[in-house]
Amino acid sequence: MIRGVAVVYAIYLMLPIALLLVGSFGGLWTNTLLPTGVTTRWYADLWEDTSFRKAFVSSLTVAGAACAINIFLAVPLAYSLYHGAHRRGSLAAKIVSAMPVAVPTITLGFGYMIVFNTDAMPWLGSLPLLIAAHAIHTLPYLTNTLLADLRHLRLDQLESAAATLGASGWQQFYSIVLPNLRQSLLSGLVMVAAISVGEFNLSNLLTSFQNRTYPVVLLQAFYGATGFACAATVILLVLASVSALFSSALVKKS
Amino acid sequence: MSLELQQLSYQYPATTQGVHALSLSVKKGELVAVIGPSGSGKSTLLKLISGLTTGYSGSIVLNGTDITHLAVHQRNLGMVFQSYALFPHLNVLDNIAYGLKLRSVSTSERHARAMELLGMIDMRDFAQRSVSQLSGGQQQRVALARALAINPSALLLDEPLAALDASIRGHLRDQICKLQRKYEATTLLITHDQEEALSMADRVAMLKDGRLLQLATPQEIYAAPASKAVAEFVGLSTILSAQICGADEIDVGFARLRAPTDRRTVGKKLFALIRPEHVQVDPDASAINRLHGQTTAVRFLGALNRFDFSVPGSEKAILAEAARVAREAIAIAPEHIRLLDE
Repeated sequence: MIRGVAVVYAIYLMLPIALLLVGSFGGLWTNTLLPTGVTTRWYADLWEDTSFRKAFVSSLTVAGAACAINIFLAVPLAYSLYHGAHRRGSLAAKIVSAMPVAVPTITLGFGYMIVFNTDAMPWLGSLPLLIAAHAIHTLPYLTNTLLADLRHLRLDQLESAAATLGASGWQQFYSIVLPNLRQSLLSGLVMVAAISVGEFNLSNLLTSFQNRTYPVVLLQAFYGATGFACAATVILLVLASVSALFSSALVKKS
Repeated sequence: MSLELQQLSYQYPATTQGVHALSLSVKKGELVAVIGPSGSGKSTLLKLISGLTTGYSGSIVLNGTDITHLAVHQRNLGMVFQSYALFPHLNVLDNIAYGLKLRSVSTSERHARAMELLGMIDMRDFAQRSVSQLSGGQQQRVALARALAINPSALLLDEPLAALDASIRGHLRDQICKLQRKYEATTLLITHDQEEALSMADRVAMLKDGRLLQLATPQEIYAAPASKAVAEFVGLSTILSAQICGADEIDVGFARLRAPTDRRTVGKKLFALIRPEHVQVDPDASAINRLHGQTTAVRFLGALNRFDFSVPGSEKAILAEAARVAREAIAIAPEHIRLLDE
C-alpha cells in the first residue's frame, strides 16, 4: 500500500522530467503523444544561442556573488542567533527560519521595485541590486544550515573549553568555531547557489534585458520551438540537481 | 599556593538560586570535592571560579593573585566538563596540545608534552586518532590530559564521571586521583555522587541551597555530619525525630534510647542518626537500646545484607547492614547514636 503510493508519487514527480528529456532529444513535436525523430540539434542550437550563453554567465555570476556575500552575513548571523537564543528565547532564530516561507519572493520583488525605482535610488535592473536580492532571499537557508550545525555540535561547550584553556573570543572563533562549521558552510553555500540559479520570480521582476538570468531567458524560449525549450530546461535541471546532490553528500559526510 | 574563595555570591536573574556568601579555601595540591543535591549551586560555583559566569560579588584568589576580575581565558585554570567537550576537528594529540599552542609553545615542545600526558593516561597509541573514535572513558581521560597540559593553577572537574558507565567509573576515579597527586594539582571536584566524593577527596564540601553546610575530611563528614541535611546526603542512615527526655536519654516516639546528650536541655527536639553498620543483630536480652521487631525487606549485597527493620509503633524502618539478617531484635550502642540539632 505504502509502496503503491510511493510509486504513484514517483511517477507524478518524474514524468515531467522524463517528458522534458524526451522533448529535448526529439525532432518534431506537435499534436502527437511523443515527438518524431531523434536529434541533438536543440542542444547544438542552445550552445550557439548567445542570449542563453550570456544568461548562463549572468546566473553563475549572481549565484557566486550571492554566495560570497552570504558567507560574510550568515556566519556572524548564525553565531549570534545561536548565542542570543540562550537569553531571549529563540524568537529571532524562528523568524529567520520562517522567512523564506513567510515572505514570498514576489513580495520581496515588488518591494524592491517600489524602493529602487525612485530618483534617489534608481537601481532597478542593475546587477548589484539583483545580487543583493538573491543574497537576501537565500540568506535564511544558509543561516539555518549553520544554526542546525552549531546546535548539533553544542558549540557553547567547546567554546567554554577553549576559553578555559586560554583562548580569547577571537581565538575561539577562528580556531574552534570556523573549522567546525567548514562542512555545513560548504553544503549551505552549494544550496544557496542551487536556489539562486533556479530562482525565477525575483529575477524576472528585477533584471534588465542586459543581465537576464537563465530562468528568465528560459521562459522566453517556450514561445519558440518546443525541443529547444526542453533542452534549455534540462540544462538548468542538471545544474540544480548536481548542486543539490553535492550539497546533501556534504551534509551526510559531516 | 592555593585557591581561596571569599564571600562569593551570585544569584540567577529572577530566581533565588545561586551561591550565597560562600567562603572556601583549597590548599596547594589538595582535592576538595563539592557535593550537594541538584540545584545546590555546586555547578554554579565552578562556573564562577572559571569565569564562565560573571556578575558575582566576593573575591577569588588563586595562588595569592586576585583573579576576580580576570576573563576566563586569563585565569589559567584547567577545566574538565561532564560532556568531555573535546574539539571534534582536532585529533587526540592536538586536542591536548591546544592550550599550549595558544601559549605559543613550539610544535615539537607541545607535542612532546602532549605525548608525556598521553603516556600518563595509557593512551600513547591514540595520539593520531580522531576523538570521535574514542569511548566515553577515553574521551574523558583525554579531556583531563588537555586540562593538565597547560600546567593549570587549579583544576576544576565538573561531574567528570557522571556520563560514564559504572563499570569504568571506578578505574577512571583512580586515574584522576593518580594524575592529580602526580601534578600536585589544586583541585575542585564537583559531583552529585557522595561515594565518589568520599573515596577521592582530601576534604568534602557539602552545599545546599547555595550555602556551605560543612567542610571536613571524608571521615569527619561521615562520622560527624554537622546537620540533618548533611547526614541525609552523605552515606546511608536512618534519621529519627527525637526529644531529650533525661540525662543521656532520648525519646524517639516508639522507644526510649540511651544516647550521649551532652549538655542539651530536657525537652529539646532534635534528630537521632543511626548508621546501618552500627546496628547489632539479635543481641542478648540484656543489651542496651534493644529493640524488638521484624525485618521487612532484605537486599543481598554479597558479603553483607542490607535490611529494613521495623519496630512496632515506628513509622520509619531502621536501616541495617550486617552479615546476618535480624530475626527478632536489634540494638544500637549509645555511642553510635549521633544527635543532630535541627
